[in-house]
Amino acid sequence: MDVRWNKLLLLGASLATLALLVAAAVEENFAREWRVLQRRYRQRLPAEKARDFSVQLRQIFVPSLRATDRCTSCHVGMSPGEEPIEGDPVFGKHPRVAHEPAEYGCAVCHGGQGRATRKADAHGLVPHWPRPMLPRRYVYAGCGSCHTHLAVPNLDMLARGRALFERYDCLACHALDGRGGTFRPGSVAAASGPDLSGAGAAGFDPQWYEKHLAKSQAPDAGPWRVSFGPIPAEDRRTIEEFLSSRVGAPGLVESKALFHSLGCRGCHKIGGVGGDDGPDLTLEGEKDPARLDFSNVPGERTLPNWLAEHFRAPAAVVPGSQMPQLGLSEEQIDALVFYLLSLRRSDFPEAYWPKDRIRAQRFGEREFATDGATLYGTFCAACHGPRGEGMRYPGLPAFPAIGNPDFLGIASDRFVAATVEHGRPGRRMPAWGEKEGGLRPAEIRAVVAYARSFAGGAPGPVDRQPWRWVRGDVKAGAELYASTCALCHGPRGEGAEGPALANPVLLANATDAYLVETIRRGRRGTSMPGFGSPSPAHRVLSDQEIESIVAFIRTWEGKR
Amino acid sequence: MTTRSSATNARSRLEPGPLPRRDFLGLAAIWSAAATLAFALLGIARLPRAAVVPVPSRKFRVVLPESLPPGEPYAPPGRAVALFRDAGGVYAVSRVCTHLGCIVNAQPDGFHCPCHGSRFALDGSVVKGPAPRALPWVAVSRAGEGTYLVDEGKTVPRGTKVAV
Amino acid sequence: MMRAGAGQPPGSGMRRFAENLRAAPRRIAESVIRTGWPTTDRARSSFVFGNLFFHLHSVRVHRWTLRWATTWGLGVAAAGGFFLTLVTGILLMFYYKPYPGVAYDSIKDIHFVVPTGQFIRNIHRWSAQLMVVAVFLHMARVFYTAAYRPPREFNWVVGMFLLVTTLGLSFTGYLLPWDQLAYWAITIGANIAQSPREVTDALGITDVFDLGGLQKLLLLGSEEIGEEALIRFYLLHVMILPLVLVALLGVHFWRVRKDGGLARPADADARLGRLAPRTYPVFTETPAKTYQLAAIVRGRTPAVGRGPEHTLPALPHLFYAEAGVFLLATLICLALSMVWDAPLKELANPALPENPAKAPWYFLGLQELVSFSAFMGGIGIPTVVVLGLLLIPYLDRETEGTGEWFGGPGGPKLVLLSAVVGLAAVLGVEAFAIHFGWIREWWPETPQLLITFVNPGTVLTAIYALYSVALVRRYDSTRAGALGLFTCFLCGYVVLTVIGVHFRGPNWEFYWSPAHWPVH
Repeated sequence: MDVRWNKLLLLGASLATLALLVAAAVEENFAREWRVLQRRYRQRLPAEKARDFSVQLRQIFVPSLRATDRCTSCHVGMSPGEEPIEGDPVFGKHPRVAHEPAEYGCAVCHGGQGRATRKADAHGLVPHWPRPMLPRRYVYAGCGSCHTHLAVPNLDMLARGRALFERYDCLACHALDGRGGTFRPGSVAAASGPDLSGAGAAGFDPQWYEKHLAKSQAPDAGPWRVSFGPIPAEDRRTIEEFLSSRVGAPGLVESKALFHSLGCRGCHKIGGVGGDDGPDLTLEGEKDPARLDFSNVPGERTLPNWLAEHFRAPAAVVPGSQMPQLGLSEEQIDALVFYLLSLRRSDFPEAYWPKDRIRAQRFGEREFATDGATLYGTFCAACHGPRGEGMRYPGLPAFPAIGNPDFLGIASDRFVAATVEHGRPGRRMPAWGEKEGGLRPAEIRAVVAYARSFAGGAPGPVDRQPWRWVRGDVKAGAELYASTCALCHGPRGEGAEGPALANPVLLANATDAYLVETIRRGRRGTSMPGFGSPSPAHRVLSDQEIESIVAFIRTWEGKR
Repeated sequence: MTTRSSATNARSRLEPGPLPRRDFLGLAAIWSAAATLAFALLGIARLPRAAVVPVPSRKFRVVLPESLPPGEPYAPPGRAVALFRDAGGVYAVSRVCTHLGCIVNAQPDGFHCPCHGSRFALDGSVVKGPAPRALPWVAVSRAGEGTYLVDEGKTVPRGTKVAV
Repeated sequence: MMRAGAGQPPGSGMRRFAENLRAAPRRIAESVIRTGWPTTDRARSSFVFGNLFFHLHSVRVHRWTLRWATTWGLGVAAAGGFFLTLVTGILLMFYYKPYPGVAYDSIKDIHFVVPTGQFIRNIHRWSAQLMVVAVFLHMARVFYTAAYRPPREFNWVVGMFLLVTTLGLSFTGYLLPWDQLAYWAITIGANIAQSPREVTDALGITDVFDLGGLQKLLLLGSEEIGEEALIRFYLLHVMILPLVLVALLGVHFWRVRKDGGLARPADADARLGRLAPRTYPVFTETPAKTYQLAAIVRGRTPAVGRGPEHTLPALPHLFYAEAGVFLLATLICLALSMVWDAPLKELANPALPENPAKAPWYFLGLQELVSFSAFMGGIGIPTVVVLGLLLIPYLDRETEGTGEWFGGPGGPKLVLLSAVVGLAAVLGVEAFAIHFGWIREWWPETPQLLITFVNPGTVLTAIYALYSVALVRRYDSTRAGALGLFTCFLCGYVVLTVIGVHFRGPNWEFYWSPAHWPVH
């Protein structure tokens, strides 16, 4: 073998290797995206500042939050100690927020990959990074990483509060969520009031009303005289509640309130509270888009898009899903997507826990208001209807109308509460006791009390003692049941179009009086007729016959 | 095998003279390989120098004890500063020895370095020992009633005090 | 002394010091290279002789060695790959932190902020792959040129240990990034280590003799893959295995020299013909000196008794070749590193398995076998194969065809036939198993022990063994059987690897293309 070929091999290979090394060095030292951007930034600085500016990697390092965020290597204007360039999409300044970015890092709120120094990687738009950045319009969903509570009243209260806030013209002086804050044109120019966008988080003076009033009635009131007047106490309370919900996360509170009025948690658990027919949503906002099935989802492969499409047609996106099509408007869907994206609670050292989270996790405070209306909206409305009218979803058996006056008229508070607490095993009604659904006895009482309002708020009957007094003829009852009841309730009480009667929880909690009265009076507005009153469709049952049927139904007790 | 034998060369074949031809190809190959190696070594030498160093924020909040006598040091546990309160206000002096970085002990008569015996006065100036510079003062700001925010990472000119 | 010198005029003492100072650079150079610049053949020989690293080579090499077709530079490429992994590996150790989670972050840092970090990691990955490929090809080269024959039997054995160490290095390096890829590949590996339980369970003796459990415990230091496993893999990867490899490599190189250089045919000299006129001529006088030491050593010394007529000085001829191959290997690694990044998936999540979870590609042939029986695929068959390879030089004592590509009875034709047989067998068995399933699908009650010993993997092994026995009888030659068996296993390994890499999808189902995989 001629040595010349080996020399040529060595020469060629080493020159090519050298070329590759030089290329790598150039890429590393000159062509990096953040270097290019920082050079451009330096060019836009005034000369004397440009001299002091060095092109180098920058990062925000907060070990206790596990934040090593190099975002400031490109977004130099947000780097502590550097000047932002107004209006620039990359070098602009961070909007004023409750948390100083230099002390909290970036990815903790925004998502994305803080360690990365290339745009696609940093924004998390690459394979194998499960936490892409939150889109700008949902950016406040990032609050959900730490804040679980966020003082959420129900949707009605929120709407009323906002309306009052506008009616009393508070926006004339105070800014709120980027609106208002200066006197209207034509008015007397003066300093405006403080921005109230974060009033719920920062707190406000409980004496505000008295102070405002005193100022407006003082002799030197000036513009105060025309812009502030007395407000009735009830409106004040509503306004205060509304203000408490202003925590600097516009949109998020509203979307959470919507979620809590649609009854989603009747089927979904969040943080251990909720039904278990649907998947647990505690970390829904952390779902890895790479692990979602997009085969039936048009558009971009992102979690928000998947969630939105899923709300439009649940069973089409997740084959076999039991979730009914809720018939939501696009605005509602957008709000729900927003809220679901905020379900991303992360583990942080307790020193970083916000007050609302401490209250929720240490002192058992709820992340939803615990008045009956909110609780009903949160846990019951999806199935029993917003006003207790019951629900009918395609493909699912009808859900009972618990607001039916016939029902409420004979069901005692004890019976309704026991039903809520223990549910109906084998049916879709879950048990809501503390061990299962997570509701506390006081909360269940509040829900029951609220349900009474569907029938005009009349108090329920008190159970007559003893509960069991029927002494009917079981054999006769069996024959009557087979001929009269079995068609709807099933030959063995297993339920068909009508509810299951052989249900252990029902039988354990329903008094004889309740059962007898239900048969006698029926349920108006449902297919259950009153057998105690004459009708062309069925014969009238005597009290003795009704008691026989009840006695027969009782024989199912303890058999299952 | 007697091609190009020693006819022109009186010496033994065991002691041949230098190779007659200038080997451009071989030299080029060797030097390009050497250049490649040298360039690779440069790159290798570049790598261990960290491009960015993780420096956590060294700010902390501290509540000064009510009973702290004026002009006496208060060393918050776990922190390398000493705080003072006197008529002029509140200020903080770093407790990192300027000699070799040991944490000096704050005592009513001054700072004592346990490592090499440097001594500092309460205002940080060197009294004795190998320390080359005075202890620097660090930034303090008020953060509410009786609470102060200290930034160990930010030095301020000596004599900078914040009003109580 | 100082006082005595101080009174004297600045004379001889100071002058000598100044002269010595002036001469120091020259003397330092001389002390390092005693022979002077290697411009003559004699100086070059001395240069090679006097340098620890160069002296791993002999001073002169046979012209047969320098033919490209003799080795295709595969051994040097493998060693070059190792050298590159060593250098880049040390560099990565500046930033890598072996602790779960932290390890992943440190790899991210290497990608994003360490100067040239990702490039270095890519080179580390690609040179490791190159090393594995080159080692396999080098083994095949040595086998097919029958270079394992005496006196080189032991070096073949050392080479086998080097192969196993190389695979071990690769495997242990796989866990270190602590991503999903790593975590699930190592889960499979650890369970293969545990697979002797398949047999001990079937025999009902796991309670008293749990070899599999012990192996897994030793590997992981725990029941699960966690911080203990990571630090063990790290220790193996950066310390134990590299030391073993370097030691074995030293022996391997040294034995090449001591065994008389590379194997060559008996008639190599005649086939080479005369030297090209430009090449520097060889000795013409009868050499005497070199052999004096050899004469007092008992036993056979390979170089003695042959003239050096067909040898060339190792410096420069061999070194051009070796440096050329090394730089070519470097070039290949660098080019690959610039195009394809080393993979890094999501942070390891023990609750969320990868599907499919695949081992490193060179283990995917094994993983295919493992899918039939963990013990046989992961331990049984590989052990039999490695043992068989180890024994080859001691079973094949023939001489025909040494140093020749595909040398031996039958030659290239036999190898071609064996390749056809090997491919047909592996494709047939795989097609059968994929299409019809195996015993358990037909009779679900089949005892595990039967499946352990009768599965597509063992059936394939048996077919190859029977074929090779037939060759031994047909050609009346062990070498013929070895040629057949080696070729068959090579084909089987390649086909199984391709199936494992490309045709296996979620749940290890067969798919014609990854595009058909269902979304998980």
